[in-house]
Amino acid sequence: MATVSEVGEAYVSGHQRRWEGFGFLAPLLLFALIVFDVPLLIVVFWSFNDPESGFPSLGNYAAFVEAGSYARIIWRTFLIASEVTIATALIGYPLSYWISRLAQRSQLVAIGLVTMTFWVSILVRTYAWIVILGNGGILNRWLQSLGIVSRPVEFLYNEGGVAVGMINVLLPFLVLPLYAAMRRVDPRLIHVAETLGASRLQIFWRVFFPLTAAALGASMVLVFILSLGFYITPAILGGGRVPLIANMMDLLINKFARWEMAAVNSVILLIVTLVFYGLYQRLRERAA
Amino acid sequence: MSEELHSPRRQPFWLTALGLLTLLFMCLPVMIVVPMSFSSAQSLEFPPPGLSLRWYAAFFGNEVWAQAGVNSLLLAMLASTIALILGTLAAYGLVRGVFPGKALIEANFMAPMIVPSIITAVALFIVFAKLRILGTFFGLVLGHTILVIPYVVLIMQVAIRSFDVRIEHVAATLGASRILILCKIVLPNLLPSAAAAWIFAFVISFDEVVVTLFIAGTNMTVPKRMFNELIMQINPTITAVATLLIGFNILALALILALTRRGAHLRRGIV
Amino acid sequence: MPKARLFGLTAVSAAALMAFAISAFAQVKELHVMHAGGQWGDAVAKCVDADLLKEKDIKIVVETPGGYAKLAAQAKSGAINNVSTDGSTSELSRMAAEGLIEEIDWAAIDPKPMFDEAKNKYGFGSSYYSTIMAWRKGVPAPSNWVEFFDTEKFPGKRALPDYPDYVLPFAAMADGMTPEEISKGIDLDRAFKTLRRVKKDSIWWQAGAQPPQLLKDNEAQYAISWSGRVVGQEGVETSFNQGMLDVSWFVVAKGATDEQKKMLYQWFHDQTIPEKQACVAQYISYPGPSPELEKLLPKDKLDQFPTYSENKKVQWLPNGDWWFKNAAEIEKRWNEFKLEQ
Repeated sequence: MATVSEVGEAYVSGHQRRWEGFGFLAPLLLFALIVFDVPLLIVVFWSFNDPESGFPSLGNYAAFVEAGSYARIIWRTFLIASEVTIATALIGYPLSYWISRLAQRSQLVAIGLVTMTFWVSILVRTYAWIVILGNGGILNRWLQSLGIVSRPVEFLYNEGGVAVGMINVLLPFLVLPLYAAMRRVDPRLIHVAETLGASRLQIFWRVFFPLTAAALGASMVLVFILSLGFYITPAILGGGRVPLIANMMDLLINKFARWEMAAVNSVILLIVTLVFYGLYQRLRERAA
Repeated sequence: MSEELHSPRRQPFWLTALGLLTLLFMCLPVMIVVPMSFSSAQSLEFPPPGLSLRWYAAFFGNEVWAQAGVNSLLLAMLASTIALILGTLAAYGLVRGVFPGKALIEANFMAPMIVPSIITAVALFIVFAKLRILGTFFGLVLGHTILVIPYVVLIMQVAIRSFDVRIEHVAATLGASRILILCKIVLPNLLPSAAAAWIFAFVISFDEVVVTLFIAGTNMTVPKRMFNELIMQINPTITAVATLLIGFNILALALILALTRRGAHLRRGIV
Repeated sequence: MPKARLFGLTAVSAAALMAFAISAFAQVKELHVMHAGGQWGDAVAKCVDADLLKEKDIKIVVETPGGYAKLAAQAKSGAINNVSTDGSTSELSRMAAEGLIEEIDWAAIDPKPMFDEAKNKYGFGSSYYSTIMAWRKGVPAPSNWVEFFDTEKFPGKRALPDYPDYVLPFAAMADGMTPEEISKGIDLDRAFKTLRRVKKDSIWWQAGAQPPQLLKDNEAQYAISWSGRVVGQEGVETSFNQGMLDVSWFVVAKGATDEQKKMLYQWFHDQTIPEKQACVAQYISYPGPSPELEKLLPKDKLDQFPTYSENKKVQWLPNGDWWFKNAAEIEKRWNEFKLEQ
């Protein structure tokens, strides 16, 4: 005897046309096409636009490759993004591991704190580092009062200060998914290893770490992608001396009015981001 | 079973120390900014020499900050509302619909979250300039809406997915159309999730900086002014704004958590 | 959808749209301008803008800072959000050369008596100011620009203006050019040579409030700054020697509507009233170009003013023609330099 739901399902599928449900998507699809897809396409067109002749050409890309300044900034961005990613992983993995092994209530508190910092506006978090790392800031005053240094140490307005600010902002992006993955590790595997006589160290490196490696990899790729597009932290903590790709694009649009070069940079950044995002998705699937 | 197997063992001292230090590092900004906003000192000093509400007074009494606050609130409300309407409809279509290219369309909706905001900023700048809506409030609303859409779609997809489809089948058997099913059956039960999605979108829009810097023109928003002030001069009024933002964000987070929990209860109650 | 919910949604939407419409409407009698802001901006807001709002219903909305680059970016984007900006003589020349501004209709302004040197075809001279060297009290004091840019004998960070107009002349002098030579033209190669040499010690500022702040916070030990921001400030020493005395010009952006120009000229007119200029001079030492102003100035602070005879003697004035002729070259080389950072 058919149940109500089976009859209902048959009824629904019987009435299904090939485009069932498309109507619900249509408004948003239209909106996204107009406000997002088309502008991105226009940027791609601008990157091929020759300002003098008005015809499409590869001239802008040639200029991009020739002028050492763009390459230098892109290289620096990649370098800093890599450093930040590695540092975040080195700090964030132990933190996630530690949290995952706390008492239940402590875990909630710890993850709650991490989530809370994640929610605080990036402007606020970046600003606080000026207070901490500036020449007249907390760290310098403390060091000087202890007599460790006689003159303030330059923590800000250089790559180091920017990196510290970036790591601070990006840690939750690594810790939260990694923590979730660690919680998913089947505890029976650990138990079996213990029963077989493995040491704590062996259990970690040969059982636990490999099981979380994919999640770690995915999180690191995510942090890397986010680092590439950073604008605020280098702008504020770098004092104009650490321009990354995003800051350069800002200059090109708002100061130098060279839209074509901004478009070229956008296209390149977009392609790189999409490639790494594909990698991220693949790692995430393996981690699940 | 998972409780006892995840029970805490004694962790090595160095790991605990490292964990605590890292946690401290992450919370340091908030721990510094909040007390400083109550400082009576003229410049940035920590610990603050005395307590005072002068920076809050400076913020509330300042006309530019007030205008920025109003703009940010209005902008966030408009963007969240539009995103909620469009996004919920789309989420329903993504979860229940059957048609070719669904994955591609879903990726399209998620794209603003993946694409670095600087690229979105440049793209909107160029297009809005050509369309002569650069620097208008209308353009800002458009920009913020497309930025928060991915979050709304994600949250509503999860909510709709956990709603038992058999109930919809029953309604269909009884002759209800898709639209009717959505409006009268699915949505009322998803209200907590919808509220959570709206708040999420609101906070994201309120805190948005990069795209705003490019397309806002003379319209002032709270993050835009904060950014300008940070670049130009270290005015302790910023600490008051920062603390208010922190409180606002945490309040929103608490609301969202409460709502999603209620939503889960509601959905469990139905089956 | 239940009627109550639909009604609620409609009400909220209607309210939002109304608020949106009102805010759009309210922008009609506003005049959007750009300028350096800071204490001068606050003073003008108190002494000029407040009365303008009361008497003529015109609200001046200021975006800070202004300058050549922002006007150029605005022109390219096609959205003339700001009708006017301030600028130095060199910036004025570059703006005119690039076709970014319109000629001033002096008859429409109908100004009170002004020094002739403050009336330009393309610019309304609103105040005198200087760009000078400043340093933190306690560090070795430089006596000229060669010493200012000598990071070996005078170690420390330099806070430099992120504008070619305000830094290139001094950088060229650091390489040995004299003020007399500068007034004929700047050797860009020598200027950039200096800037590249001190690159590691440079901090670039965009807002006038930054250099005194950087000096106070000890983030920089030496700074190029606009005079009104640093003279008489605690903990900061200054010198007008080899400083650049200049007029701050306001311009009319190309594409401004007649309505906007009318409001702008009204604002310019009010700025020429000697009593208002004296009011501004109380807050910051940038005198306006009225011949009547001298007798209204505070006598004890006279030596802070860039136009004070002792200060005027040791300064030099920029050559607008040279900046006009070389506008494109300057822009190109400055962009290249900035991207090298």
